[in-house]
Amino acid sequence: MLHLIKLELKKGRFSAYVWGALIAYALIAAFMATLYLTEGTASEEPAFRNYEEMLRGIDTIVRATFIVYAAVLLAKLVVNEFKDKTISLLFAYPVSRKKIILAKLSMVFGWTFANVLLANAVVGGLLIAINARLGHMSDPLTAQILYEHGIFVLMQAFGAAGTCLLPLVIGLRKKSVATTVVSSILIVIIVCSNNGGFNLSSVVAVPVSLGLLGILGTFMSFRNIDRVDVG
Amino acid sequence: MTDIIRTRLLGKSYGAADTVSGVNMSVKRGEIYGFLGPNGTGKSTVMKMLLGLVRPTGGEIELFGERLHDGSIEHLKRIGHMIETPVFYEKLTAEQNLELHAEYMGYYNKRSIREALDLVQLLGVEGKPVRQFSLGMMQRLGIARAISTRPELLLLDEPINGLDPEGIQVMRNLFRRLRDEWGVALLISSHLLSEIEQVADTIGVIQGGRLIREVSMDDVRESTAAYVEIVTTDSVHAAFVLSERLGIANFKQVGERTIRIYDSMLTPEQLSKALIVNEVPIHSINRRHHTLEEYFFNMIKGGEGHAASHQAGA
Repeated sequence: MLHLIKLELKKGRFSAYVWGALIAYALIAAFMATLYLTEGTASEEPAFRNYEEMLRGIDTIVRATFIVYAAVLLAKLVVNEFKDKTISLLFAYPVSRKKIILAKLSMVFGWTFANVLLANAVVGGLLIAINARLGHMSDPLTAQILYEHGIFVLMQAFGAAGTCLLPLVIGLRKKSVATTVVSSILIVIIVCSNNGGFNLSSVVAVPVSLGLLGILGTFMSFRNIDRVDVG
Repeated sequence: MTDIIRTRLLGKSYGAADTVSGVNMSVKRGEIYGFLGPNGTGKSTVMKMLLGLVRPTGGEIELFGERLHDGSIEHLKRIGHMIETPVFYEKLTAEQNLELHAEYMGYYNKRSIREALDLVQLLGVEGKPVRQFSLGMMQRLGIARAISTRPELLLLDEPINGLDPEGIQVMRNLFRRLRDEWGVALLISSHLLSEIEQVADTIGVIQGGRLIREVSMDDVRESTAAYVEIVTTDSVHAAFVLSERLGIANFKQVGERTIRIYDSMLTPEQLSKALIVNEVPIHSINRRHHTLEEYFFNMIKGGEGHAASHQAGA
């Protein structure tokens, strides 16, 4: 399996994706810092009043970003192989089709999971550091808050890693990159949009079950892959 | 066990339409099998079924003496293939494509990649991205990829498409070399007889998804009937003389001035003498063979007739 993942990495220049992720980190950090500075607790209607709200805000943006990012990866790794017919090459190798697909999907799953965790840590840490200097938020940063948020992010990262597979189920039907990416954006709009301080994913059960649904959906769409005609 | 490919009543239908049906084919070790038929008659589908890319809806396939099942993959290590227009990871170079192929095939031998590129005469451009290749170069690269893992069986779908005359010659020699030196069995499809009759040992003719006949080229050459062809300015009088004076019944008028005489006991010399004596003006007289085109054309027409009567009977 590791060998298959290595081969997938050989096919595309994935260093570009790592750079892309770093740029995404920077943009998220810049956006949150701007929010902090302009709509912080000093303004009349603050974007966040305490650490918990701030950290959750970061988490929401991070997940939204990396769910869409994952759709781009899935389009490249899976949809394009079907569209360009290179899949007929892959499926004529003495390698189980399921393993080939599983290698691709686990790459995207792992990538999303890791990035959601890392981006939360990096951007969260940065904003906490900024606040330590400027002190817009005065509530104490307790180990309790950090611990609870850590568990929350872990669940969300799992949810996002599963959810990000859902666009593939839709995009693969049409063998279309655009469909894959657009449906990921739709999912993000539904799951991550903020309605008066509330969004669907703030109830942890929602993203986690969406994540499970994503895993189940992809499992179902590749269940019969051994019997499917290609090319 | 000398049969590398053997199919029994192999068929594929999409919905109600049969794309391929009742194909019984056998390809032996170390032979070049020409798979001949017009476009869209199921040649590619048969090849895809052999590769497991398309799932048969009827019959069975035996490769290297073992029956194929859903998800059997071990035999794929021993097969090289190029189906339809070859596809590549176009951003990668030619060499990287072949390396990737070798990795997936589980065949580790750096030298064989260069050797394959050399055999198809692509050395020198191996560092270029495939995106920049012409159609003919891609075709060569596809063949290089297919042979780079030293397969025992090669499935090549219209391998000569898009090649220039020189490239065609190179490929023909390559196919013979692979057969003679490596003992590879080659299944080569084409819609043009002239492309494969020079290299094939056996020819399978497919028409409307059915394998009409499988014949060895030796038999074909033997059975392409000999005849004597007369070109005359007065074919009516010639026909009269042939049937009434010389008692020859088995002849046929082809075109305005040409008559063909089959299985006559008379030699061309005797014939010309007899015709001249009977005042038939003779432009030329020759002993001829049926061309292969005619032979296969008749076979295909016969196949159609057979299929038609089959349908009528059903």
